[in-house]
Amino acid sequence: MPRNDPALPDPDVAVPAGETPGGTCPHCERPFRSEHARDLHIGEHHEPAAAERERYEAALERERDDLWLFHAKAVVGLGVTYAATVILYSAVIGGFF
Amino acid sequence: MDREREPVDDRSPAGKRETGAERAGRTAGLAATVALALWALSGPLAGRASAHAGSLGGSVASATVPTWLVVLTGGIVVGGTFLFTTLLTDHEAMRGVNWWRFALSTPGALRRTVRVAAGAGSVALLALVVWTGVTGTDDPTRDFAILFVWAGWWAGYTVTTYLVGNTWPLVNPWRALVAAGTVGLAATGGRLADAADRSLPDSWGVWPAVAGLLALVWVEVVSPVGEEPRLLAGLVVAYTLATVAGGLVYGAAWFERVDPVSRVFAAYGRVAPLQWTDDGLAVRLPATALTEDPLPDRPGEVAFVVALLWVTTYDGLVATPGWETAVEPLVDAGVPALFVYAVALLAGFGLFVGVYRLAARRIRAAADTYVTAHAIERWFAPALLPIAAGYHVAHFLGYFLGLSPALVAVTAAPLSPPLNTAVAILPGWFGTVKLLCVLGGHVFAIWVAHSLAFELFPGVLAAIRSQYPSVAVMVFYTMTSLWVITQPYGPPPFV
Repeated sequence: MPRNDPALPDPDVAVPAGETPGGTCPHCERPFRSEHARDLHIGEHHEPAAAERERYEAALERERDDLWLFHAKAVVGLGVTYAATVILYSAVIGGFF
Repeated sequence: MDREREPVDDRSPAGKRETGAERAGRTAGLAATVALALWALSGPLAGRASAHAGSLGGSVASATVPTWLVVLTGGIVVGGTFLFTTLLTDHEAMRGVNWWRFALSTPGALRRTVRVAAGAGSVALLALVVWTGVTGTDDPTRDFAILFVWAGWWAGYTVTTYLVGNTWPLVNPWRALVAAGTVGLAATGGRLADAADRSLPDSWGVWPAVAGLLALVWVEVVSPVGEEPRLLAGLVVAYTLATVAGGLVYGAAWFERVDPVSRVFAAYGRVAPLQWTDDGLAVRLPATALTEDPLPDRPGEVAFVVALLWVTTYDGLVATPGWETAVEPLVDAGVPALFVYAVALLAGFGLFVGVYRLAARRIRAAADTYVTAHAIERWFAPALLPIAAGYHVAHFLGYFLGLSPALVAVTAAPLSPPLNTAVAILPGWFGTVKLLCVLGGHVFAIWVAHSLAFELFPGVLAAIRSQYPSVAVMVFYTMTSLWVITQPYGPPPFV
């Protein structure tokens, strides 16, 4: 889907002195701390070449795995928070505090 | 930037391209889940708040839940909203929501007519405010100037700027006066007309507006300008002279960079569903315009947004019993109260700016990025505006509704107001509405920050992780502002 809406401008970046970026975008020269971020950026913002596309898909695959784990934690966190809130309210209304 | 290719576009776990309907269905399903959870979480809150407000209905029906639990629940709702938002990771669907718009046609003839009529009407109202302020009664609940400026304009009108749209450029009497003055000067060949070569130093950015906003709120809090019509009329006249002179000398830049009132409404207007775009007027989903336009790269832009958030908090804070307890020893020791108020105003502003800048640095570390902390500050600052709006509505809506019967009665006959005006007593459940407004502002802010993070950082996890610091700050700020709102109101002491 081409972006037909006004795009946000590219943000300012600064690499700390003495640090070598993990990767630099060959299309827009933007530095990244990791190759993973660089590969995702190329796939999201540029027209990737065949090798770049392969790396992008590998990076996406890794994101999916990590995201699954993150979502599992988030759902457990929500459940625990909800249960704790209900228990807390029962305790307060029941006069334990 | 081209995202036409299928694999590039696709982030669904099933690895196949979703149709628009499927995606919309999934988004709607998640939205429903979020709504349900919010409702479930706010249910106990509603019961408590009506009890807290001390209404008969509430105190009979619901058990007593202490304020700390109401405050804690607010923090839990904001944290829970963040966790729900992390489940929404389809960037294209998010853009679909954020970029949705419906263009409204606004014929040029209509625009010109409305502009002239609104300008003339606003100048007439300004004159009426000054006149009724100078000649009016000493009873503030019968005086048109007091009721119109504080209840009608500062409270009621401001609410419309973020709930509907920023109409201020249209109904700003000072802008109309400047426009008329510029035309008049040009016709007579006046010297000020060649204002183009005068300009404010770029290095000032919008700091004059930040200072103006802080000064305005300080005057509002410490002086009896909210009760004494003549003092108010004097302030309005002084403000008119300064603004018209500034506008004539510096042109539109004055309203954009110096005039705090125009800046406040412009900032709030960015939250509103009605937006001016390059193609004219458009209806958008509330707060989604914030995900698109970053703040201009000028000194003070971020500070102004933070100041807007702080001044409303300050306004509420100085009316709490806790403030009186804290300040009493200082005033007793002979420190001038005006000085204490000014120091607290500046110190709180400094604290808010400091916390925000610290959060930006933490975001930088959490997202593992080379994007500068300065750029991050600018990028996420629009997300603070729904919070400021939610807090503003909680703080001022009751005040506006309470005084609205008096405002209507006095507006009907501003020059000879009725002897007695009524003040509305709001029902007990209104306290719940206020709490929900604060929470609603934070929920919108989380969505805006989430969307902005997806635009800024590649991938999904970096964007989600980048939000940890801001969510922590938001949870803390929600709890603080809920605490302020649940405190009994008293007029600011010692001034």
